[in-house]
Amino acid sequence: MLTISRRTFLKAGALAGAACAVPAAFDFPSFVRGAAEQPVTKIPSTCNGCSTNCALWVYVKNGRLWKLEGDPKSMKNEGRLCARAYGVAADVYNPDRVTGPMKRTGEGQFSPISWEQAFTEIAGKLTKIIDKDTAGAVAWMAHGGKETYAQMLLDEIGAATYITHYSTCFTSKTNAWDKMVGNQLTSDINRARYMLFAGRNYAGGIMPGAMRKIMRAKDRGAKIVVVDPRLCELAKVADEWLPIRPGTDLAFFLGLAHTLISEKLYDEKFVKEYVFGFEEFWNANRYFTAEKAAEICDIPAAKIRAIARELAKNAPAAFLEPGYHGLHNHYAASTQIAQANVIVNALLGNFYKHGGLMPAAGPKFGKLTLPKRLQPEKGERADGAGVNNEYPTVETSRGIAQHMPDRIAAGKVKALFIYHFNPLRTAPDPEYQKKMVKADLVVSIPVDWNETSVHTAHYILPEHYYLERMDAPKSTGGNIAHDYPQAVMRFPALKPLHNTKHLLDILKGIAQAMKIDDLYPFTVEEEAAAMLKPLGATLDTMKDNGCLEVAEAVRPEFPVKDGKPALTTTTGKVEFSVGAFKLHGRMGVPVWTPPLVSPKAENEFRLIHGKQPWHSHSVTSNSPYLMAVSKSYNGSRMWMNRSRADKLGVRDGDTVTVEARIEHGGEARTVSKKVAVKVTEMLHPECVWVPSGYGNFSPRQKVGYQQGVNYNDFAPARVEPLSGGCMVQEVIVTVRKGG
Amino acid sequence: MAHYAMLIDAARCTGCAACRVACQMQWQLPPEVFFNRLEFRESGKYPDVKQEIVPVQCMHCDNPPCATVCPTKATYKRADGLVLIDHDKCIGCKYCVVACPYDVRQMNDRGIPEKCRFCAGFIEKGEQPPCVSTCMNDVRVFGDLDDPNSEISKKMKEKPVYQLAAEKGTKPRVFYVKRGG
Repeated sequence: MLTISRRTFLKAGALAGAACAVPAAFDFPSFVRGAAEQPVTKIPSTCNGCSTNCALWVYVKNGRLWKLEGDPKSMKNEGRLCARAYGVAADVYNPDRVTGPMKRTGEGQFSPISWEQAFTEIAGKLTKIIDKDTAGAVAWMAHGGKETYAQMLLDEIGAATYITHYSTCFTSKTNAWDKMVGNQLTSDINRARYMLFAGRNYAGGIMPGAMRKIMRAKDRGAKIVVVDPRLCELAKVADEWLPIRPGTDLAFFLGLAHTLISEKLYDEKFVKEYVFGFEEFWNANRYFTAEKAAEICDIPAAKIRAIARELAKNAPAAFLEPGYHGLHNHYAASTQIAQANVIVNALLGNFYKHGGLMPAAGPKFGKLTLPKRLQPEKGERADGAGVNNEYPTVETSRGIAQHMPDRIAAGKVKALFIYHFNPLRTAPDPEYQKKMVKADLVVSIPVDWNETSVHTAHYILPEHYYLERMDAPKSTGGNIAHDYPQAVMRFPALKPLHNTKHLLDILKGIAQAMKIDDLYPFTVEEEAAAMLKPLGATLDTMKDNGCLEVAEAVRPEFPVKDGKPALTTTTGKVEFSVGAFKLHGRMGVPVWTPPLVSPKAENEFRLIHGKQPWHSHSVTSNSPYLMAVSKSYNGSRMWMNRSRADKLGVRDGDTVTVEARIEHGGEARTVSKKVAVKVTEMLHPECVWVPSGYGNFSPRQKVGYQQGVNYNDFAPARVEPLSGGCMVQEVIVTVRKGG
Repeated sequence: MAHYAMLIDAARCTGCAACRVACQMQWQLPPEVFFNRLEFRESGKYPDVKQEIVPVQCMHCDNPPCATVCPTKATYKRADGLVLIDHDKCIGCKYCVVACPYDVRQMNDRGIPEKCRFCAGFIEKGEQPPCVSTCMNDVRVFGDLDDPNSEISKKMKEKPVYQLAAEKGTKPRVFYVKRGG
């Protein structure tokens, strides 16, 4: 705990303990008056504005949040923070938070109940479901990657279905890398000489540490090429922007691969030693030249060849960024896109190489020793992930989030828990998603009145805000390479404002009410202490120092055992051909696969989306500070290329009607929304682009309510069969001027 | 005596608005009052199109029109270069709002104009303004131009710079790196 004493100029405004977000006055004199001799405390935490987990210091004065500062030690943000960090922190005082446990009393109607009553009723319903021998019908849906407590309850009752948000985000990436490499490698921007980004916008889906590394690389002369239908924020600072026809990244990647192989530019030694299935890939793609790719993807063949040559010239300190949501959730061929991405990188021989792709560094955390428990055997997953004849090749560690109403209708899911996740706004077709309410039991564990809670929850159990709670340590590893493992941890900076609980205490309450003894015989403090012990750290040292770095560097070495390649794949090598796909009647290697649908008429466009720098998702669209930024810059407008807009008679700022036909389960309907247009030269003519953070439809979120539209409004809920993705850009909309 | 200034390299800006919200938190401003803004401009025709993003804020001019027109001397210039507003002297006439060629003054809820304060009170203690320290792309450098060893002094020597609307004779203390600089 650091105490700083200040003589002048400190936080004014809000009186101690008053829970208003905005001070009564913000003029200079009152600011100075408020800057009396009050101690300021600095508490380490990690941001909850997106999943990057930036390390920060929270400044608290008079028991209230004052400001934030990035922790310079964390490789994810190197002391910097984006706008979302501040907006989301200020939202601890947002009046639209859920202030205590709630029970549904009607459509959108809720009554406050006590925690005890909530636990008793939920446990009663859950026990009834399990007693009918249908423990398999209990599913947990969460954003993912942030907690392990729910898994313990699922294990205890014999439920197999833990679902993350990943199928609505990037599962084709993790699935392809897992099956082809057995590891998710990260781009070593710090040492790269040539960086190709396709569908990856680190300045929009911000990771401050990635941007710092990119800008430093730029300063030392590394080349940055951005492939994106839109001149995105990263393209603005790149050496080259290549506006690709949306839906054709696969053709572009295959064109690169063809050039590398046909011109013998690829790393033959690496391929010989460490690649399986090279011949199979080449045989299937021998005739897919750069010229063929160019016809499809709208990037000239000469340019495709030039990029392949430059990549090769700078290899292994060159990479094609493995990408995330922007590259991996949009098309029927998303899995093949991810495969082609792995292949281009492998041809460059940049695996486990400095400046190429490196494994993520993660600290070796300790574990609590807990008594062994007898656990019932689990059946198949209720979401069909990894289930034969359903979605056998979808990763069971990720699951399928977007077709829950169908699984409920089929009787496969009866009880549904939704934690820190808002599928009604972040999964396709909200009208369809609303049907989740039909399960026997739906419990939402949010912080705010999000759409999922309002429309589907039978019970809402609000969690402490991130600034109000301690969370177990986490690794900073992932996405971008850093040589040393790091641990970051969240400490409570503020006293809980409302009648909320920590997730661990919520689960303890449910387990106790179900008469499950001692399922969680520990506190978060004890768990954190046990995890930190092998790192030589304690809660106190973490609290004093923030981000902790471990002095044990990741080596640039391809895993080898007994002189043989030892990845966790079947052959130990990078597998260009995926056996699991072949086993289920698919091709093992990627070949050009066109999008399912394409725009044709003058009023038709492919609807694409992406991140805007000051919003994450539905999480930030109710933040007064962040929505004020949107208002300043007309942020919720839909982008349209000027030449197309001219043909439709649409001018900048005009309102248009956007329509799409949604077919699901034999029914069809037309979705129609109005939105203002930004007419621009910075977009491929065949698409319209919407930022992903808008279209909030929870009436209890007054700031974001009905601001702009959301891409999910126009997309049917589909499941890409290989990886479980949403194919959300396989959507054609018609646009007409006016309402 | 320090003489403070800021150098902005707009070519590095990717328009994330962290500067704006970090500043709002530092000074506890409400969402609709902000001291720095971004100007977005696109030029050219698809696919040969460029985007410019220019951060704009109070320039703390050495010849500040806002102070010149102020009938009560509420707006004043400090010896260290900062332009500030004495609320006790201000009568809310808004002359300064109109006079500012950079359009950076916003009225507060008491009818008194507000703007960037160059983090008066923080910088004297050696702190960086949060618009500078939060920026992931190092768009801004803040410091003392009287100190030849300060980062800003060194950067100003390295790179060609210009001032916004310099022809108006305002002598801004916020400098911009010339494109290609």
